[in-house]
Amino acid sequence: MRKTMRKAGSEVLALIICLGASCWLLWAAVGCELNDPDRDVRRFFPESTGYKTMYASVKQQGGEPRLARIQIRLGDTFKGLYETIDTPYSMYQILRGTEIIGYIHGVNQKGQYGGIQVFLALDRQGLIRHFYFQKVTNRSAKLLRDPAFAAQFVGLSLQDFDQYDVNAGSAKPGSRVAAIRNPAPDAEFDFRAALRATKKNLILCDIFLLGDIPGK
Amino acid sequence: MTKPLSIYRIAFKNLQRKKARSTLTLIGIGLSAWVLTSLFGFNQGYETALNKDIDNMGFQVLLTAKGCPYEAATLMLKGGTGLRYMPESVISDVVRYPGIEKVTPMLMQAVFDPNKGESGGISAYLGVDPASYPQLKAFLSFEQGSWFTDPLGYQAVMGYEAAELEQREIGDKILIPEKNIEFTVVGVLKRSGTQDDGTIFIPIRTLQKEFGQQGKVTALGIKVSKTANIIELENKLYDLPDVQVVSMAQVRETIMSLVSTAKVMVISIALIAILIAILGVINTILMSVFERFQEIGILKSMGAMPADVFRMVWTETVILCLLGGMLGVGLAFGLAKITDFLIRRLLPYAPTGSLVQVNLPLALLILVIVLGIGLISGLYPAWWAARVRPLESIRSEGD
Repeated sequence: MRKTMRKAGSEVLALIICLGASCWLLWAAVGCELNDPDRDVRRFFPESTGYKTMYASVKQQGGEPRLARIQIRLGDTFKGLYETIDTPYSMYQILRGTEIIGYIHGVNQKGQYGGIQVFLALDRQGLIRHFYFQKVTNRSAKLLRDPAFAAQFVGLSLQDFDQYDVNAGSAKPGSRVAAIRNPAPDAEFDFRAALRATKKNLILCDIFLLGDIPGK
Repeated sequence: MTKPLSIYRIAFKNLQRKKARSTLTLIGIGLSAWVLTSLFGFNQGYETALNKDIDNMGFQVLLTAKGCPYEAATLMLKGGTGLRYMPESVISDVVRYPGIEKVTPMLMQAVFDPNKGESGGISAYLGVDPASYPQLKAFLSFEQGSWFTDPLGYQAVMGYEAAELEQREIGDKILIPEKNIEFTVVGVLKRSGTQDDGTIFIPIRTLQKEFGQQGKVTALGIKVSKTANIIELENKLYDLPDVQVVSMAQVRETIMSLVSTAKVMVISIALIAILIAILGVINTILMSVFERFQEIGILKSMGAMPADVFRMVWTETVILCLLGGMLGVGLAFGLAKITDFLIRRLLPYAPTGSLVQVNLPLALLILVIVLGIGLISGLYPAWWAARVRPLESIRSEGD
């Protein structure tokens, strides 16, 4: 029994060492992936028959000049460990047969009490079909995750967020983004974080998936 | 009136007569002394560096309540359930065992976070003692901040990956939703390549209080002294009721066996180096004595006693060895860094820290050893020279 436990201990240690080594290999900044892609793809695109996962980083696709352009479009600089030039972005290309019917892409964003993960399901034109908090830690998280809150994003596109100031948290009066209501006043930090994450997500989708149109 | 020559000056002059041979012998002895110094320096440095690595391992034995998951991944697999507790008083039982250097209590707690993923997830927190845990995990260093400033405070230290995932920096808050309590991040650890990278540390007293587990721990980290028999100690720990021992001794034992292997290797190579040096010196001095066969005979016929001749040849050997020894020690000091670099490239596993430690005590030891080699090597040639018969040697002229 003791020998078995000792052996188990050694195996666990070996596993920890292996995991440690793999962590070392994955030294680059943290990405954002769907926890259960099969389930989530079916949920957001019930008509889909499959999906393809693609990976990209700003470093690979344009490097510093492109990062600068992204930051200008976002109206803010990239910050922290989760927003670096080499952050690996996972994008899901949704298929019906061989036809591409949409995309799913998620980003990390700093929240009040932890990391927020905001996923968007887009149609081929870049319109939001679904808004999804994969992760959010807040006392009012239930309200933020409510379908009614997510529904406010449906049908919006990057053009709607163009005028949204991520630092001031203000949108053009009368715009569709200005109409998005925060369901939890005590979660203003995370509400704004969600809007910033949405704008960043749409910019990245535009660049990586929809074709970055110069001057856009 | 001419000043009589001292035996040392004669010996020194004799060595200067065959400059090339003396220089080559000196270089030979110097190289042997360099090898010896570097070997002993390596032995010293390697052992120190490995011991440091053992210290950096933190605790080598983990004592948990029977059936309790002992690391976060298992706890997650069990859905955050299945935690078993030991009374904190187990610490006083454990420290009584001989061979135990340090003990640190730990309390792991898991909560369900409904907003983690689609159907919620488990968040785990590790309560640690701010006084003993950092000492045992001295190798952990900080990317930002430091360990807790208040052992009863609502503070958190996050492993690198935990902080990366949660995008936390010092001053940020974390929330335990189930308990509705906030903690301020006071430190973010550097990446360590261990499970600490994904851990959120909380002061143990705070965690005990908030989770209603006062006086309870889920695990004890035990650091065993280097000289203790870890297997024997583990068997003794099983005498405690309802505990399981998770051993990390294998790594420690592997490291210690590396030390032993290194010692055997070093001693073997050192013995060979000494043997080669002795033979080299005997050969050189004996050749020199043979060449001076008649000269020694003349010296004796002029009144030199066998003891004088013996002392003269012996002195030559000692001078050669001392100069060679100093050359070797100088080389070892000067080339220590290069030697370290070369050894590091050759070794499959090289611990952190300096591998070759050359210092003054080692230099003196090497000089004593080389002097010893000189005294031993010089014995036979000096004895042979002392036995030379004047008549025989003079008669051999022209042979």
